Amino acid sequence: MSGFGGWIRTYAALIRNAWLVDLQYRAAIGLWMLWGVTEPAIALGIWWAIAGAGPVAGYARGDFVRYFFALMLVNQLTIAWDSWYLDRWIREGDLNFRLARPLNPVHEAVADNIAYKARTGVVILAVWLLAAAVWPAARMPIQPTRWALAVLAVVGAAMMRFFISFATGLLAFWTTRATAIMELHAGVSLFLAGRIAPLALLPPAVAGIAGVLWFRYMLAFPIDLLTGAVPDGDALRRGFAGQIIWLAIWFAAYRVAWSRGIRRYGAVGG
Amino acid sequence: MAPAIAAEQLSKTFRVKVRIPGLRGALGALLRPRYRDVRAVRQVSFHIDPGEIVGFLGPNGAGKTTTLKMLTGLLYPTSGRVEVGGFAPWSGGADFKRRIALVLGNRQQLVWDLPPEETFQLNRAIYEIPGPAYRERLDELVTLLDLRDLLDKPVRQLSLGERMKCELAAALLHQPSILFLDEPTLGLDVTAQEGIRRFLTQYRDRHGATVLLTSHYMQDVTALASRVLIINGGRLLYDGALDALVARIARTKRLELVVGAGVTAESLAEFGDVKSFRFPNAVLEVPREAAPATSARLLAALPVVDLSIEDPPIEDVIRQAFAEGVGEGVAE
Amino acid sequence: MTTTTAGRGKREGGRVPRWLHVLAALWRLNVAEELQYRANFFASVLGTVFGIGTALLTLAVFFRHTTRLGGWDYWEVVVLLGVFNALTGVIEAVLRPGIGQLAGEVRSGQLDLVLSRPVDAQAFVSFRRLDIWRLTDVALGLGLAAYALHRLGHVPSALELAAFGVAFASAAVVVYAIWVVLMSLAFWLVAVENLSVLFDALYEGARYPVSAYPGVLRFVFVYLVPIAWTTTIPASALTGRLGPGIGLVAAAVAIAAFALARWLWQRALKRYTGASG
Repeated sequence: MSGFGGWIRTYAALIRNAWLVDLQYRAAIGLWMLWGVTEPAIALGIWWAIAGAGPVAGYARGDFVRYFFALMLVNQLTIAWDSWYLDRWIREGDLNFRLARPLNPVHEAVADNIAYKARTGVVILAVWLLAAAVWPAARMPIQPTRWALAVLAVVGAAMMRFFISFATGLLAFWTTRATAIMELHAGVSLFLAGRIAPLALLPPAVAGIAGVLWFRYMLAFPIDLLTGAVPDGDALRRGFAGQIIWLAIWFAAYRVAWSRGIRRYGAVGG
Repeated sequence: MAPAIAAEQLSKTFRVKVRIPGLRGALGALLRPRYRDVRAVRQVSFHIDPGEIVGFLGPNGAGKTTTLKMLTGLLYPTSGRVEVGGFAPWSGGADFKRRIALVLGNRQQLVWDLPPEETFQLNRAIYEIPGPAYRERLDELVTLLDLRDLLDKPVRQLSLGERMKCELAAALLHQPSILFLDEPTLGLDVTAQEGIRRFLTQYRDRHGATVLLTSHYMQDVTALASRVLIINGGRLLYDGALDALVARIARTKRLELVVGAGVTAESLAEFGDVKSFRFPNAVLEVPREAAPATSARLLAALPVVDLSIEDPPIEDVIRQAFAEGVGEGVAE
Repeated sequence: MTTTTAGRGKREGGRVPRWLHVLAALWRLNVAEELQYRANFFASVLGTVFGIGTALLTLAVFFRHTTRLGGWDYWEVVVLLGVFNALTGVIEAVLRPGIGQLAGEVRSGQLDLVLSRPVDAQAFVSFRRLDIWRLTDVALGLGLAAYALHRLGHVPSALELAAFGVAFASAAVVVYAIWVVLMSLAFWLVAVENLSVLFDALYEGARYPVSAYPGVLRFVFVYLVPIAWTTTIPASALTGRLGPGIGLVAAAVAIAAFALARWLWQRALKRYTGASG
């Protein structure tokens, strides 16, 4: 691709295509969003019941409400399904024509994500705003700087989760079990990323692991930034440092998986 | 003139897990998996000059698709050398990919839920086709392929033939010098097939593109290809003109007759093998060398209105080539 | 082209209904097929063990901050979790493989081929594929429930076990009825594979006792989308939380649910074959 303009035009075309296809599938997408909202809603229901007797590790009922609404939004903006698509492309021969054209298939995947997240993120945001209109617990103080930082963290998380998903999908070059590995990862991230409960509610050792590994930076870190649970200064700096480091590591993992995977594909075919 | 496509001693070997059918075999494979080597392509060599249309024939599993994948850079050879458009396909990169196009009959690149126009625009961006050139080429392709009414309908609403035409258009927007077609007429009705063949010849005449197509349909090959490569069991059995092949291995000729009153199948039977008899038409199969003499006798003995000496159908010849090989040597 | 009465029952003079024959043949094929993929077995067991492990850890997180969930003790909730897994095993082994194909068939028009077979359409579509490896879920789930009962110090009486058996079977029927309703909707909305997503979302609520949810949700789960009857009720029968009479109530609910679902399916099928015929 020659120059910046070429890339802009390519991405514009890819995103446009993805957007239009999503438009056709908006019913299905709607149902998937419902699914994405159910899990946090059920968790919120349980914590609401538990916190009825008083705050839990510093989280009162209102805090839980804000946490899980933030979770719904951040998850929708960072979730990546690419391992499933890649696995299918590789197994069903849909990778061939993509490899025969002068565009790395990863760009198509990135554009798909941008289109999908723009669409669904707006919906979840609207849902949250509506909820906040009728439910005081769902409201948050307006803090522009904090929100700007949260946006940065969300973008970082989205990129990292994308590379995790793409790299895992590339395992389909070697095994038929790539989706199982992704499900394993999703299972672990259920609590290490903070989907079941804020990390502060986990045993400290577990929360520690989540912070040392990449899981915290998938969801919990951007959520905490959004809800104001990260104090300024040192904690903020360490948080962003951790996210940048893991983003770089997963990017490298994706690069290695791609070059090795293509090599293997060229050896054994589709 | 350097060849557009050059393959030398091209080989590809796969390692495959052995599967034994049935419950007992399945349990055995559970505990101790076994492998074997499959030599899909064995030392295939050929050259194709720019502007040629070459047909690639072979039964399923013969090694056609594997060879095609090596020519397009999807697989790398186990041994041997291959060069396409001046590039080694596997390592050719974006520059190589811009010079070729790959159209697969059973997998499509058109975006299913959107009109073909959207895929065209996408390719325009991917191949960086300048605006004026894009419009000019699109117009040409729309005219040659008669696509005007199809451009704004979602691809899923198009018939198979219409989809294939749009696939071709999408593949040719960047004016590749080498076009690889894998079963392009698969599943199409006769009109659609003929349309595609006509288009390919026209396109080649206009732009000098080299075309390599694999096909099951003899008409594709007879109508389009000046030259045919026959592959079976991974080996190149024949490389040359089709009529030369027929002449070499067809041992029989067909006498196509229009007969007069009183002629029956029995009365024809003494002259040769009666292939079909539906009064007044008949087809007789006779040994090649005897054809002229037998014709003369027939004309003298029976009321024959019309007689012509034809080659056996290409399908039979090809099938024979697959089964028996081509006799002495390979390339022409 | 209705198939609901043709081939149903003992038409051929055999003792076994034809649709059962067909299913048995299909299942034999399935099993032989599946045995080829050894990875499937290990993956399935591993997946379930992992799933149970995750669920137990989740419970551990909740119970780190409370002693009771909706009035239930920790080990009572684990019993429910065991029942949840066993029921999931039944769904994944028997229902999802067959019904999962339905969406594609409605879309591609292959459904007519499916409906033309001389077997009851509903039975065929629902049960035609067997993912045998998922039956390990049933074993693991029941094993977990048994262990939890042991930790509770509660040995179920024969009556309680019987009540549980009935309640569990009823739970399977209720789940099946919900699936049939979704399948019927497939004839109107072609996105049934996404409707199954809807089911999954609702079914998630069955992981916890229905008393853990706020009032409105509780009402929905008991009376509208009867998720409560899938896990809470059988688990309650097993732990003695509810008397053995609940088994009969569960059976009644199951029969009602099935009848309703079957009626809906018939209507949908009639409309579909009428419309395309």
